[in-house]
Amino acid sequence: MVAFDKCETRPAHIDAILNGLDRYNPETTTVFQDYVAQQCEDRTFDCYANLALLKLYQFNPHLLQPDTVTNILAKALTVFPSPAFSLCLALLPAHTQPFPTTSEAQAASQTSDFVESVQKLSQLSTLLESAQYTQFWSTLNSDDLYADLTADVAGFEELVRIRIAVEVGKAFRSITADALEQWLDVRGREALVKFVADVCGWKVEGDVVRVPTNKENEARSEVKSERVGVDMFGRVIRRGFEQAA
Amino acid sequence: MSYDDRANARPSLNDESDVEEEALVNDYREQVNFDDGMSDLDRTTSLGGSQPQDLQAQLAAAATPLEYQATLETKFASYDNYCSLFHYILNSEGPVDLDVPSYYWAWDVIDEFIYQFESFCRYRNRVARSGSNEEEAQLLRENPNTWGCYSVLNVLYSLIQRSQINEQLAAMKRGEDPVAFAGEYGSRPLYKMLGYFSIIGLLRVHCLLGDFSLALKTLDDIEMNKKAMFARVMAAHFTTYYYVGFSYMMMRRYGDAIRMFSHILVYVSRTKNFQKGGNGYDAIAKKNDQMYALIAICVALHPTRLDDTIHSAVREKYGEQFYRMQRGGPEALPVFEELFRSSCPKFISPTPPDFDNPAVNVDPVDHHTAIFMDEVKNTLFNPTIRSYLKLYTTMDLKKLAGFLEVEPDQLRSWLLVNKQRSRQIRWVEGGLLEGESAIANDLDYALEDDLIHVSETKAGRRLVDWYLRNLTRVY
Repeated sequence: MVAFDKCETRPAHIDAILNGLDRYNPETTTVFQDYVAQQCEDRTFDCYANLALLKLYQFNPHLLQPDTVTNILAKALTVFPSPAFSLCLALLPAHTQPFPTTSEAQAASQTSDFVESVQKLSQLSTLLESAQYTQFWSTLNSDDLYADLTADVAGFEELVRIRIAVEVGKAFRSITADALEQWLDVRGREALVKFVADVCGWKVEGDVVRVPTNKENEARSEVKSERVGVDMFGRVIRRGFEQAA
Repeated sequence: MSYDDRANARPSLNDESDVEEEALVNDYREQVNFDDGMSDLDRTTSLGGSQPQDLQAQLAAAATPLEYQATLETKFASYDNYCSLFHYILNSEGPVDLDVPSYYWAWDVIDEFIYQFESFCRYRNRVARSGSNEEEAQLLRENPNTWGCYSVLNVLYSLIQRSQINEQLAAMKRGEDPVAFAGEYGSRPLYKMLGYFSIIGLLRVHCLLGDFSLALKTLDDIEMNKKAMFARVMAAHFTTYYYVGFSYMMMRRYGDAIRMFSHILVYVSRTKNFQKGGNGYDAIAKKNDQMYALIAICVALHPTRLDDTIHSAVREKYGEQFYRMQRGGPEALPVFEELFRSSCPKFISPTPPDFDNPAVNVDPVDHHTAIFMDEVKNTLFNPTIRSYLKLYTTMDLKKLAGFLEVEPDQLRSWLLVNKQRSRQIRWVEGGLLEGESAIANDLDYALEDDLIHVSETKAGRRLVDWYLRNLTRVY
């Protein structure tokens, strides 16, 4: 596993900022913002660097660019299930109230576009994290605002679709084509056959999609036996020698 | 009362040094907006005018908690005291010789410094939120940079860099002599300790600000074991494990969080008798209970076999709540929330609140609780799923949905969620942020259409211990 603070696609100049005190320098905000734009374009994701930008916003609220924040959140949606989205939320101003419970908080969303955007994206995150994929797509398609929020993220739907397929592949050996069509929001059997063949390498047999066996979906029972090493018997063996002598 | 009046009102310093110090403090205030952390270190001004006994009073004051009912004036003055003190320590010509009041002064001063920063931020937010005390609001509005996050971080980072503590720790890790890397400042115990505890201080500040990954990253050069320097000061030992454990928890690495909390709680339970009645015992006892609550939350989200003493202590302190969280379902929600609120750090917002709109100043604790509770809600049915699947080797999904009285689609989602959450990143070696993906559950399953195949990983018989025990008995 790549450590949380590392990222294979991170350029050297970003790495240098992250590891020095310049990560607190408001002047680096623009560098990080460009980096977010780049991640949106080339479909990469660097959570640790994006958190550094959110921290700069936390310290210098006047610099906060709502569009960049929503792009970071939209990018974080594409790596579910992971703590990325909630770690980003943790650095946002508390008044955004991502999960409003009271009508008062919901009313606040009507006064600020930014707050409304954060709340909408959080709703999507909840649906993905709780594996309610059908509802995720219907919510996403229910309001033009969602399209605006994810417009900057190249291939947003595609990325989410792939993540869903990966999660399905870990839990299922076979699944009905109808169910998968709904989860992936692909319309028509042909589109599904093409998607699972091209992206996942799976086959559709009649009404059933077959997922080849992998480490996650074989669910093998096993008995973990204890490790036995010579070192564990060191004392016994030494005593054997000592007594003999 | 203007700022100048307040500064002059401090009794412990004579007039001469007041003037000079005033200049230093103002100087400091100018940098507060942003400072790259090191620029002020080039300056060579020092607190030459200060007399020894004044300095002693200042040193003692810096490590002493403020009174509970301290006024805003006292809090401002205390901030000024810290500013001038740290300025003196960091920016004099060469390292200064300080006759510190106690061996643990370095820890106490950093601890108290951050505590006052934390309580000041929370107080300021509360004044803005309640909107009742116009006088205090006005005073806070006029001094937006007092206890600013940039100046607090600046102090901690400067102490770390001055003492070259990270270089020293890295050398120790490689098995080399740290003195070769310590430099003029870092070779002195006082600077070394201030630098070291500033790292722990940073861990805490990042955590209070909600930056959990950076909090863990801060400890890159510190090895988490009993030989570490923090282990020599009980309160530091304790604080470190609390914040590391909590940060892991927020990164959903519950296994690692449990490991951290267990380590320190076992340690405390063994050394309890030495601590009773001692200084700061109450604070430690409170944090102790908070960690038991956090461990209960982690175990509910991520079933783990606990150390026997920890397990019985959790049951003793939080028996009913522990049981309800482990059972899951909607009834568990208020329990999770209550325990989380009472045992999480006192989160702060680093910037001055909006005094004109009380309603927008949400308590940061509410913010973090809401984020955490979203994850709890998403995984609320994991215990239910597990308790049923344990009973079968194969099970029809529709039948199980019937038992649970939910739609098959809902059950499929729950199964996916439980499967996803049973994979966690777990630390093996290296920095705290590193780790390998591990299956965190002994129960696994896969679906073949609507048929759930369940498998269980069982621990085999442990024979080596038995064999060795009997071997020693026989001869």
